[in-house]
Amino acid sequence: MKIILTGNPNVGKSVVFSKLCGYEAISSNYSGTTVDILIGKAKIGNCDCEIIDVPGVYSFEGESVAEKVASSIIKKGDYDLIINILDANSLERNLLFALELLSLRKPTIFLVNKYDIARNRGINIDFEKLSKILNVAVIPIIATIGWGFDVLENEIKNFSFKNKNYVSDVSIPPNTLDKWKMIGQIISKVEKIEHKHPTFLEKLEVLTTTPSMAIPFGIIVIIASFWIVRFIGEGLINNFFDPIFNNYYYPLIDKFRNLISSDLLKNIIFGKNPVAMEGFGIITTGIYVSFVVVLPYVFSFYIVLGFLEDIGYLPRLAVILDRFSHKIGLHGYSGIPLIMGLGCKVPGIFSLRILDSNRDKIIAASLMLLIAPCIPQTAMIISVLSKYSIIYTFLFFLYLFAVGIITSFILNKILKGSSSDLFIEIPPYHIPVLKNMLFKLKIRIIQFLKDAVPAVIGGIFLINILDILGFIERISLFFAPFFKNIFSLPPEISSIIAIGFLKKDVSITFLVPFNLSLIELMVSSFFLVTYLPCLASMMVLRKEIGNKNSFYVMCINFVVSLIFTFLFSILLKFFGV
Amino acid sequence: MEKNLYDAPAAKLRVLKILGGSNLLKKLSVMGIYEGSLIEKKLGYKEGPVIVKVKNSEVAIGHSMSLKIIVKEEK
Repeated sequence: MKIILTGNPNVGKSVVFSKLCGYEAISSNYSGTTVDILIGKAKIGNCDCEIIDVPGVYSFEGESVAEKVASSIIKKGDYDLIINILDANSLERNLLFALELLSLRKPTIFLVNKYDIARNRGINIDFEKLSKILNVAVIPIIATIGWGFDVLENEIKNFSFKNKNYVSDVSIPPNTLDKWKMIGQIISKVEKIEHKHPTFLEKLEVLTTTPSMAIPFGIIVIIASFWIVRFIGEGLINNFFDPIFNNYYYPLIDKFRNLISSDLLKNIIFGKNPVAMEGFGIITTGIYVSFVVVLPYVFSFYIVLGFLEDIGYLPRLAVILDRFSHKIGLHGYSGIPLIMGLGCKVPGIFSLRILDSNRDKIIAASLMLLIAPCIPQTAMIISVLSKYSIIYTFLFFLYLFAVGIITSFILNKILKGSSSDLFIEIPPYHIPVLKNMLFKLKIRIIQFLKDAVPAVIGGIFLINILDILGFIERISLFFAPFFKNIFSLPPEISSIIAIGFLKKDVSITFLVPFNLSLIELMVSSFFLVTYLPCLASMMVLRKEIGNKNSFYVMCINFVVSLIFTFLFSILLKFFGV
Repeated sequence: MEKNLYDAPAAKLRVLKILGGSNLLKKLSVMGIYEGSLIEKKLGYKEGPVIVKVKNSEVAIGHSMSLKIIVKEEK
């Protein structure tokens, strides 16, 4: 039996899903989009069910990519039963989509979730009456603790033995405004709201959305998240991933090195030299970059993000960032990828999918790649500049920030159209469920391993081929005079820059042996940070926003980088640094 | 008195008119904001989004969109 789970966003659909299917599920991409759909298996009664978690929708009329995907799945009719989930706290709003579903005349069961929270907030719903009016099974549940699921199981059993009719015959008006009228009448019969003292979470909701408090609170949340991501990420690298790689993995695979006689093949697989980060071997550098450098940050990042998501803070953050974001051609939601990109670009780029228009994606991606050096890069820049006054470090980041703002300001003027307006639901706060957070984390890590790791390894293979063909040497020779004449940098460092995008943080430390002056150091670091995204982010970007758009973004980056590096070197000289 | 949602006070409001094309009307009506509907403005950010309560759930509406929604205070 095939069951689809539907409902508005934020109704707790994924909790219901994992309660039904256990924590085994596969995430699959809906072809042609960036929307991922979870598919799981469950045994309910004696019946084997396939359960499909359809993206949240407010209405079939919805315009977002996720809503279009959901509508097409639901309207295709390729399933036996619809389980539609409604939020008891906003039953009225949820009923619009519910009525749209009923008019499809498919077997349907309604689950009204968050029954406990609604009760605490003084909302009383007469479920029996609602069921009679709509002629459909209505079951109150508390998905987080599994309350009400026995009733659901019974209904599904009844359904599979065909001894009850699950197709509603209530007549439903075709247009939205008439549906709202009908909903108004239903609500007046089934819902009573009594006044209660606000709960702690309700007080917190007010506190964190009232502008005077929300902005300082938002800044604290951003800084704290950033710090926690770094703390966990770095801790994992230094105490776990790096030692495992160096003490166990590398010595082990090194034993196989001599089994291969061809030098060429040996170089491609194991790298040219034994330092894991410099050799560019597929199973040395490739594994190191994917698992030791990026994975720990992706992991720590998703822990923090998952927490902020589940508690319901992200839409509030979007509201706070909205005004500023509009000035540079984005809406509030774009601030989220940007903040993520500060940790590591890879999850930042993944999160671009929350933006709907191509325009928003291009601006947000360009801005992210310019303005936000990832944590390892930031750390390297700070350490390289640390022997000079802290003013220069500050100046460096200020310049970077200014360049990002100027660029997206210009992009906003050049690109057609205007940034879409913010229009989002602000869900009530929820206490996150640990099991559910871990489930989501697992799905995301698997996705990272599936998407990013092969891309990094493939990229390293490509670099090897280019190197063998003498291409990289030619590029660095070609650019050497350019560095000398335009950026006033020693031509030797062009070789570092030619391969610097592979591991941008490390490439900055490669500058040290050249004994550069302060200006040279700042200028070349700036160029290294901005000119191209690192290999991992380049590959993920291509996957996430497509070949054409990622090509645009990289061109924008490269041109901006050339112009502003040049300007930076002039400015620094002019002010006599 | 008629005002746009951005300038309106934080109170219970009746939507009188929505100045926009069919796409905007559709987008808003799906969330329960249409001519004649009752909403409650919770708060607004200066030159930023307005947060309203509609059909018992809260929605943030961007600045330029909020200027297009004409409301009247509901006594």
